Amino acid sequence: MSGAVALPAPRGAAGLRRAAPVLMGLGRLVLGLGIAAAVWEGAVLGFGIRPEYLPRLSAILSTIAATPEAYAAGFLRTALETLIGFAAGVAVGVLNGVLFLRAPVLRDMLFPVFVVSQTIPVIAFGALVVLWFGNTLLAKAVIAFYLTFFPVTVNTLVGLQSVDPRQMALLRSFGATGRQVLLRLLLPSALPQIFVALRLGASLSLVGAIVGEWFGDTTGLGVILLQAMYTEQVTVMWAAILCAAVLGTGFYALVALAERYLVFWGAEA
Amino acid sequence: MRGVLGAVLIVLLWEGSARGFALPSYTLPAVSEILGGIWAQRADLLSGGATTLLEALLGYGLGTAIGIALATVITILPWSRTGIMPVVMAVNSVPVAAYSPLVLLWFGIGVSSKIVMVTLAVGFTVFLSALAGFDRVDRRSVDLLRSFGAGQASVLWRLRLPAAMPLIAAGMRVATVRSLIVAIVTEMLGARSGLGWIIYQAVVQIDFVQVWAAIFVASAISLAFFGLIGWVERKVIFWR
Amino acid sequence: MQRRTLLTAAAAAPAILPFVARAQGTQKATLRLKWLAQTQFAGFYLAKARGYYEAEGIDLTINPGGPNLLTENLVATGADTFGLSGGTDSVFAAREKNLPVVCIGVSHQQTPFFFVTRADGPIRTLQDFKGKTVTTWYTGANYVLLGMLAKIGLKPGDFTMQPQQVSVTPFVEGQIDVVTATKYNEFYTLMTRMGREKLRTFVAEDEGITFPRDTLIVSETTARQKPETVRGFLRASIKGWRDALKDQKAGVDVVMAASPALDRAHQEFMLVEAGKLMTAGAAAQQGLFWIDDAAIRSAHDFLRQNDVIKQPVDLAKAYDGSFLAAIPVADRMA
Repeated sequence: MSGAVALPAPRGAAGLRRAAPVLMGLGRLVLGLGIAAAVWEGAVLGFGIRPEYLPRLSAILSTIAATPEAYAAGFLRTALETLIGFAAGVAVGVLNGVLFLRAPVLRDMLFPVFVVSQTIPVIAFGALVVLWFGNTLLAKAVIAFYLTFFPVTVNTLVGLQSVDPRQMALLRSFGATGRQVLLRLLLPSALPQIFVALRLGASLSLVGAIVGEWFGDTTGLGVILLQAMYTEQVTVMWAAILCAAVLGTGFYALVALAERYLVFWGAEA
Repeated sequence: MRGVLGAVLIVLLWEGSARGFALPSYTLPAVSEILGGIWAQRADLLSGGATTLLEALLGYGLGTAIGIALATVITILPWSRTGIMPVVMAVNSVPVAAYSPLVLLWFGIGVSSKIVMVTLAVGFTVFLSALAGFDRVDRRSVDLLRSFGAGQASVLWRLRLPAAMPLIAAGMRVATVRSLIVAIVTEMLGARSGLGWIIYQAVVQIDFVQVWAAIFVASAISLAFFGLIGWVERKVIFWR
Repeated sequence: MQRRTLLTAAAAAPAILPFVARAQGTQKATLRLKWLAQTQFAGFYLAKARGYYEAEGIDLTINPGGPNLLTENLVATGADTFGLSGGTDSVFAAREKNLPVVCIGVSHQQTPFFFVTRADGPIRTLQDFKGKTVTTWYTGANYVLLGMLAKIGLKPGDFTMQPQQVSVTPFVEGQIDVVTATKYNEFYTLMTRMGREKLRTFVAEDEGITFPRDTLIVSETTARQKPETVRGFLRASIKGWRDALKDQKAGVDVVMAASPALDRAHQEFMLVEAGKLMTAGAAAQQGLFWIDDAAIRSAHDFLRQNDVIKQPVDLAKAYDGSFLAAIPVADRMA
């Protein structure tokens, strides 16, 4: 009995995994989250950790439940800033990568400047950002953009450069135009590399949006976070951290999902 | 050479607009003014820069090691992936500065809290790059190697690591810059020394030339660090 | 060509602006706060909610502040019209660095922070600070502390002074001996975690040092070109503050509406303390936002003595009480 049933079982499981990887992932995620929540709650209670260091998860959740509209508004606002900054950062980053590949002169001239631009801590020029962009949503998106475009540029360039020159030569010999080579060969080959930067950028753009909100704003997770930090509302601070974590993880998962659909190199090579 | 040209162009543009539009130093000080500020404050900036660099280097070393190690663990033990990934992602989604009150509470206002923060930031960047690199290898090559009886560790060493090298290197390069920024930002929120502390105090004293002087020094250090890692990278990958 | 367009635009702008203003009957202005929304600023929020600024022809936007955002800088560059900035100390620093800002009113008439020790601990007098560890903010409070201790003969090497981090937890846990607290914020946290009776406070005024803070500022240009707007802003703000201090529930409500995640009990406490600071000293006779020349001069001389400001600041140019003087005293009383 066991032999007869055991044989098809793995095949069935594999089929399920292929058919509904998202569902499986979701199930495991929920399980993982449940365990993490239980460990959190248990550790705080069990080790008697004081709320200044780490409040109980249930206390944090009930804080959110007390004024859900504040957290919802903050969440949406921060998400919007993150998305705009991320989209702009990715567009400019990929464009930069292509541009730098085509025009090494530009690369040699601009790349060091980009590196320098990344060495300036955002928080140090908050006043400049407000001066230039005012207290708008755009100002926050700009900071998210500023943190995102650099890794995307670097990775796009690295990805494009690592394309096998023989493949390029082959495509050229068939009379492919520069545009075709770019769209058919270069970008698809660089995609895995670009996606590493996108995943990194998903987190960085959120960080940028939240820090951007520290330059004088009324709504956003960053505002709640900062306010709670200085009035020592520890549970509120953790509530904001939790919201940011959910937003960041969700955004990251979306990017990873997109990657799964767009990147086929595993099967191709 | 062209890099120098680009830098010179930017500097000229900056100097020109600061002087041409007669911008007051609270909007944008001229480059010459900032360089003068650096010279005047060289002793403070040197010791502050040394502190910040120390924090960044130690955190960078730790972060790189932890990032690669964690990626290795996940690759060798695939079942641990679902457990580790969401936690890492959740931790990383929150801006570094949000943890600073906690980290300052746990590790004090000295150097160690900055090293912890840098380790976190660098570790994550390198971890993501390394993981993507390890995953990058051809499925069939892995199967082939395994059919010859190679274990996960052997696959990692023979196949995955060489394939991952360029990605790990790219991650390490991006992380150089992050390491200094995170050290500086953490210093700004509570420290006894370092460039971030200098920036913080200069802002309070409304001394914008000094703010920019400290930023220039930070940039110079980052750039040198970035260059150094790039150089090492070329050596190592060439050797491979 | 481009230059000509720019010139035309520049020439047209002042011509158009008053027209727009007249057409709508109001003009746009912003107030930059020194921090995020909290009842420390309740009067401004209430004045806006009750339409007092509108009644003065000002369409006011309140912009919160943040760490590393310098109100003096934003007002000097024209990014914001009005500012509630750090305090007399930051106004001095701004004037010393030639930022064209003028203080038109002072909110907190006395030093809003004090130094806190454990009531049952070894520190009973300032003398006992010797050999102890003190944390404070290096944003002016450090000089107040050094000044207080200098008066009783303690030198900087006699005690350990460290930058204070955001949380007061190290003090609560006994890792440090003295902590700096604003009367309206950190002290509330200390009270709720340790109990008021467990705390002993050392006040700067007891040592003859005073440090008025939360200063209202405008740029020299605004002060010169739009004196009526500045007066209108002050009238409306004072009206809002009188309301907020009389009807504190309204004051807390309006701030909680702007920032619902705040802790209401803390905000209620903060408004009471802010009210005390705003009506202390000369403001008791002269009304809200009074610029007490004696207190300003004392703060200035103190910072000058300690070489925090490297050269004397022309106080007559930095502090302009004329806008406030245009409002009858009776209307300024809280």
